[in-house]
Amino acid sequence: MRDLKHLIYFEDLLQEANNALVKQAKESGKRALGYTCYFIPEVLLDLEGCFGVRLRAPRCTSPDIATYYMSGRTCHYGRSLLERALEGGYNFLDAQLATETCTVTCRFQEHLQMMDVIQNPDFFCEFTDVPFKKTQNSIEHYEKQLRAHVLNPIHERFGIDTSDEALLRAIERHNELCALISEIGDHRKEDNPNITGYEFHVIQLVSLVCPKELILPYIRETAEELRTREPDPKPWFRCKVLLTGSENDDPGFTQLIESCGAMVVADRYCYGSLPGREQIELREGESPLTAVARHYIATSECPRYMEQHVMRERKKHLADWAKEYKADGIIVESNKFCEYWSYERTIDTIVLGRDFGIPVCSIEKEYINSASGQLRTRFQAFVESIEIKQIQEGK
Amino acid sequence: MKKGKKILFGVLGGAAALYAGLFAVFYFDLDGKFLYHVVEPFLCKHYDKIERRDITKIPYDVDKYPEYEYKT
Amino acid sequence: MTGMKNFKKKLRDFVYGKPHRERRLGELYEPKTGLYKHREWRGIKDTFYYFNRIWLYNYGMMVYDVMRYGGVVNFAKGVWRYRWIGQTYLTVMHWYDRGFEGLRGPALAASAWHYRAMTSETIRQFMRMFSADANLHGGKRNELWHKTIAHDETVAGAIFYPWRDRLDDVPLQMVPYFVTCHVNCHTVLHYIDAVQSIGLPGDPCPMCQAEAGLSVLDDMPDYFPFLVTSNEACDGSVGTSILQDWAYDKPLFAMPQPMQFDDPLVQEHCRREIEECWKFIEEQTGMPFDYDCFVKYIERFNELTRFEHEKWDVAANSEYYPVCGSAQALYRIYYSQAGWRDIWAQTDKRVKKILHRCVEQKINCYPEARHRVIAWSCAPLFYSYWPTWAYNCWGLHVIINMDSLMFDIDVRTDTPEHLMEDFTIYNEWAPMRRMAVGGYRHIFELWENMERFHCDMVMMYDQIQCKGMQGITGMFEDEFRKRNIHAIWMPHALPDSRTVTRAEIRSKINDYMFTVMHEEPLDPTLLDFDDSQGW
Repeated sequence: MRDLKHLIYFEDLLQEANNALVKQAKESGKRALGYTCYFIPEVLLDLEGCFGVRLRAPRCTSPDIATYYMSGRTCHYGRSLLERALEGGYNFLDAQLATETCTVTCRFQEHLQMMDVIQNPDFFCEFTDVPFKKTQNSIEHYEKQLRAHVLNPIHERFGIDTSDEALLRAIERHNELCALISEIGDHRKEDNPNITGYEFHVIQLVSLVCPKELILPYIRETAEELRTREPDPKPWFRCKVLLTGSENDDPGFTQLIESCGAMVVADRYCYGSLPGREQIELREGESPLTAVARHYIATSECPRYMEQHVMRERKKHLADWAKEYKADGIIVESNKFCEYWSYERTIDTIVLGRDFGIPVCSIEKEYINSASGQLRTRFQAFVESIEIKQIQEGK
Repeated sequence: MKKGKKILFGVLGGAAALYAGLFAVFYFDLDGKFLYHVVEPFLCKHYDKIERRDITKIPYDVDKYPEYEYKT
Repeated sequence: MTGMKNFKKKLRDFVYGKPHRERRLGELYEPKTGLYKHREWRGIKDTFYYFNRIWLYNYGMMVYDVMRYGGVVNFAKGVWRYRWIGQTYLTVMHWYDRGFEGLRGPALAASAWHYRAMTSETIRQFMRMFSADANLHGGKRNELWHKTIAHDETVAGAIFYPWRDRLDDVPLQMVPYFVTCHVNCHTVLHYIDAVQSIGLPGDPCPMCQAEAGLSVLDDMPDYFPFLVTSNEACDGSVGTSILQDWAYDKPLFAMPQPMQFDDPLVQEHCRREIEECWKFIEEQTGMPFDYDCFVKYIERFNELTRFEHEKWDVAANSEYYPVCGSAQALYRIYYSQAGWRDIWAQTDKRVKKILHRCVEQKINCYPEARHRVIAWSCAPLFYSYWPTWAYNCWGLHVIINMDSLMFDIDVRTDTPEHLMEDFTIYNEWAPMRRMAVGGYRHIFELWENMERFHCDMVMMYDQIQCKGMQGITGMFEDEFRKRNIHAIWMPHALPDSRTVTRAEIRSKINDYMFTVMHEEPLDPTLLDFDDSQGW
């Protein structure tokens, strides 16, 4: 396949949080609003006058000072974020919109609140309470929280227009981006996709960490390019897999899997597009904020949801996605010390193979996988096992 | 009368001996030693042998419990 | 003359017991097992108090409680079927021993009544489990099975007050996991290993692992038609629910508590979850919510809270508080989590008498206390009696602990609106949560409580698999330095005695007391001994 025109530029944008487009937006007077969790709807941070940046800490392999603050027994992702913050890597942030949705990212954000880490006099950190269920009670609660802890603070402190009209415009822009990313992602459903999992991962990530209006033209052009891009006649991969699990903003990890012969066709993990790039539907008589609250509660597949049918359905959703994207197997990953995914991964590993007949590779990883040898061996063995299964089934 | 006294002293004597015996059990931690060295190992052997159902064989019925409708 | 002096001294020791600094309690242990060569001689009065009113009385009451709560047959079947009861029940008196080493007079009596109450409530709970257990009754689901509500141990028992007179609520893990760890730390290891054997990594909170392991190892009685769970206290608890749902495969209502609990906006949401939980119970049982019953038990529990405040007041402002650190911590967390039961009221009545006597007669129950210690964060369950050791060895006197301060609200019952307002908050202020979530400022309430209880030292529990606490260690270190506070970090893995042993915990404290505080032990025989295989 010929190279994607903007791939190298996209890769460059992922080298640090304060990338060229973030700088450009800041120079134009826009406020940078950081967040970590899907439950802070990015659409609300992309109102006119501000932009959301989903925080990453690329290339942070040794979070030494953060380990003093958060010990070595917490997830590497949370510690890496704190390390980057302590290094000054997030000084461009004007606010952090925080959630207590998983313990360690919560603690990371509390450090931003408590310590004078972000060298920006305007900086503040505000927490939103996120419910554990998908009920109407949860949606109403969540909407109130978003109003009180996201919209009101940015309006009061930065004068951001948070009116319904402004929200509608933000939703429209957001939906355009989601439509484009979904279109790009849909190429992965083809028998011989014209995009790699790595490329898609990079595109999805730049859409999370860059100001939307600045990245949108590039995404648009990339979507256009993919409409005519021809895949190599002979597929480069040996099998296709769905990757699911905890936080993963490292395209190198997808690259590692693909270098073992397994194309990552679906990305159901934090920072992935399933869910994440569904368009927000505006229902009759519903306020834009209600639509946003309902959308994020309904689409999330986070293992912190506790309703009985939701806990169980998650497994089926994975199997459905695997079918839709023609995945031959599922890789379930969890970051070391991630408690939600430790449990979810355990049960996924047993149930998906047993009840849905899908081969599963279950692994534990670090935020940045500097020691990749063992993982490579695991993935190679998994690819071989899928091939053997396919031979046995006469495919 | 004599017999009654004898029984009374017998009972009191027995009770005193029992009390003294129990005190010896208490003071020398004989209850602890017996439980630690005899009862617990015996029970552990028993528990290790119990046939238990294998959780990985339990069905995981995705549709068994439909969405719960709120009433409040 | 010397011989006479010796004789008089020996006689005095025989009658009154040895003075603290001459006791050499460490020499009483047999190597490794923690069993006693002989139990401590505390002087005539206290030894016979211990023998008659604690040892004999409690053995007797353990039989009596079994008889009255379900009978010997159910008990025997349970012992034969479930490891957590068989391996633990009979070792209960050793749990008393470990907690009360060195205690005398009112301290011994008050602490023992607390232990007695916990023992009785434990028996009530497991006997209800066994009486209703389909596993022990040939798979038959009897009437009690239909009349027993199961809930995660972190769901407050108070939630079920509206049905207390018609149904019973028994937490899933309170006895099979939580209590057993304190009494016999060997049992829980099987459950931790079991859950890891199906692929769970070793790093999640070992408490949650053990709770899930109970279901993996098929060691939970089948005593309930449905269950209520919660997100309390942490991410691991949420994860545990996923495995429990699979293993029990019964209708489940998740009643999560909000994380940012002091945000006024969360209260309505939380209240609706509670009310919906009640609807769920009504639907499952066909029994309507009973408001009067709810109020009745709330008011009774308020009485317990008021006495707790009285206890704290004495503990904070005088030397006359008789309850030892481990009894204070365990009793408070147990009764506040379980909710009102008659045994708590009976116990408080007895302890109140002792407490009042101590105050009136100015009895200093811990005369060798050198430091007033506040214990913060979650404690090692396999070594919950460390305060007894710390006092005997170093004079470190634990005044209060973090978990004691939970559920600290007098719930108003004058109007239904007030009741629900307060009850919602009550539900949010649960153990391992009130200080742990909703912002770092809650966990830093340590400073206020140090002042309130006049403590000069912190025993900082370092639960090495608790992500919430691990995630804030550096800020604590900074604050300790800034405020010039003596804090000892006590590493442990909650129930798992293999990760950090009791000897290692003692060694950490010893090192700090020698090298930082430059103090000498009160009883050097307690510095180092081998109880590695002890209960």
